Amino acid sequence: MSKSSVLDVIKSKSVVVLTLICLITGGMLAVTYNLTRERIAEAEQAEINQALSEIFPSAEFVEENDYYMALENGELIGYAMIVEGRGFGGKIKAAIGIRLDGTIQRVRVISHSETPGLGSKVAGDEFLAQFEGKTLEELKLKKEGGEIDAVTGATISSRAVVDIVREELQKMMGRLAEAQE
Amino acid sequence: MENLLGIAIGAILINNIVLTKFLGLCPFFGVSTRLKNATTMGLAVTFVMTASSILTWLVYEYLLVPLHIQYMRIVVFILVIASFVQLTEMFIKASSPTLHRSLGIYLPLITTNCAILGVTLMNTVVEGYSLIAATVNGVATGVGFILALVLMAGLRERLELADPPQAFQGLPLAFISAALLALAFQGFSGMIL
Amino acid sequence: MKFQEFTKGIIKNNAVFALALGLCPTLAITTSVENALGMSLAFAFVLISSNLIISALKRFIPQEVRIPCFIVIIASLVTAIDLFIHGYSPTLYEHLGIFLPLIVVNCIILGRAEAFASKHSVSDTFLDAAGVSVGFALAIISVSAIRELLGSGTIVIFGHEVVPAFTSSPAVVMLLPPGAFLTIGILLALLKRAKVI
Repeated sequence: MSKSSVLDVIKSKSVVVLTLICLITGGMLAVTYNLTRERIAEAEQAEINQALSEIFPSAEFVEENDYYMALENGELIGYAMIVEGRGFGGKIKAAIGIRLDGTIQRVRVISHSETPGLGSKVAGDEFLAQFEGKTLEELKLKKEGGEIDAVTGATISSRAVVDIVREELQKMMGRLAEAQE
Repeated sequence: MENLLGIAIGAILINNIVLTKFLGLCPFFGVSTRLKNATTMGLAVTFVMTASSILTWLVYEYLLVPLHIQYMRIVVFILVIASFVQLTEMFIKASSPTLHRSLGIYLPLITTNCAILGVTLMNTVVEGYSLIAATVNGVATGVGFILALVLMAGLRERLELADPPQAFQGLPLAFISAALLALAFQGFSGMIL
Repeated sequence: MKFQEFTKGIIKNNAVFALALGLCPTLAITTSVENALGMSLAFAFVLISSNLIISALKRFIPQEVRIPCFIVIIASLVTAIDLFIHGYSPTLYEHLGIFLPLIVVNCIILGRAEAFASKHSVSDTFLDAAGVSVGFALAIISVSAIRELLGSGTIVIFGHEVVPAFTSSPAVVMLLPPGAFLTIGILLALLKRAKVI
């Protein structure tokens, strides 16, 4: 065998092996993906359900476009929605509950990637409890003329959450006003 | 329209890839003993990072998304990066032996530089940037990497003349210098653009 | 089987402290012991299984394409564990974030594959990979314990207070990037002083 054909054999074997490995691992990944896909979707839904039931503890939820209607004994008691916004470290995903009179029922942060120990406190009860019963005008940080105290050392994270909530409330109230007309 | 300036400044200073995001630490400590090596490595990383940002964005948007196989992204991205680095090395070897001599040892290291894979994943999956924004982010992150590496190399060249307790010599002192550098970069956090 | 294949990776050749490899996750996700535990497990899974596969296949993988083959195998295993954690522990998935997929480019894994698994028997490879995994876990858990203790003023693992809160004003800087560099720098100096590494 000449030198170049030896090289060809080595090369072709390399290509075959690499392709085989790619195909096999690709196939195995497809299987893993299909096995875990439902589980991932379920876990995400479970997180949302958990947050919703913390907001309106005894209500049932009916999904409507991009928000949920909270019903208690068949009667509408408020609205809830799952929203995403930008925080300091990344996305903040939150669940917001709105009462029929346009005030906030409760806010829950579902996931975030704020700085541990500082910005992460915006997901804590101490910060989020302030939102209860607030109206649109009050939903600003205190230093900006509103009613919400920012977490010390985490003004940006706090402002991010307040902004997400205020914008969502505004959108929801606009939508309800439209529906009434 | 995305805030391109914001993305660029954010990637260079506020969220510096090495000092606040902890990516690319192996070359950061490995190649930062000499200013000249640090600059060369930084430029090579910036080049690969920019090209990889564009390539992986195209592959993700026009191949993985239409085929609904986004979950294959890790395998596909690392292959794209590794092939690109390999091709670049072959090209440089053929076209400029001088450049190959100075860059040669760094190129294979770049494939396993987590900053590159990290940026490509951030562009597509985490942030969902457009092609232009992804390119800007690739360049700016590379510039941030050069900045961190050059600052560190400058510090370490001077540290060689210092006389620290024996236990602190070498890597421990490098880590503590990096801590001070990171502390300085914390000052940028909170800037809004 | 040689037992020292297992023990050498734990302290003497500890990947993080002695060889300064795999630094990115060591610094980034060590803000809590819980994250470090999750990372250790994911890392051990990928390191052990990838190196076993590579060791078993070493005769079939041609020399010149071995690195791409290793990378494909490692990347697939990382994707698998990524999907698995996403489904079964969304909170951990959130906390590890981008550092979970980045196990692919962790130099320790490719390094062990190239330097050990591709040259040794499957049983020796298992011992080596397990030892390195224990060493890595030891490193990131000790770093995270220091950072959580000083930075949060408490250590909480899966809802249990292992160390109860002892201060209302912890040194938050330890949770921030400078604290990570500082912790490792001082740990390295202490280990060097004690002549452990």
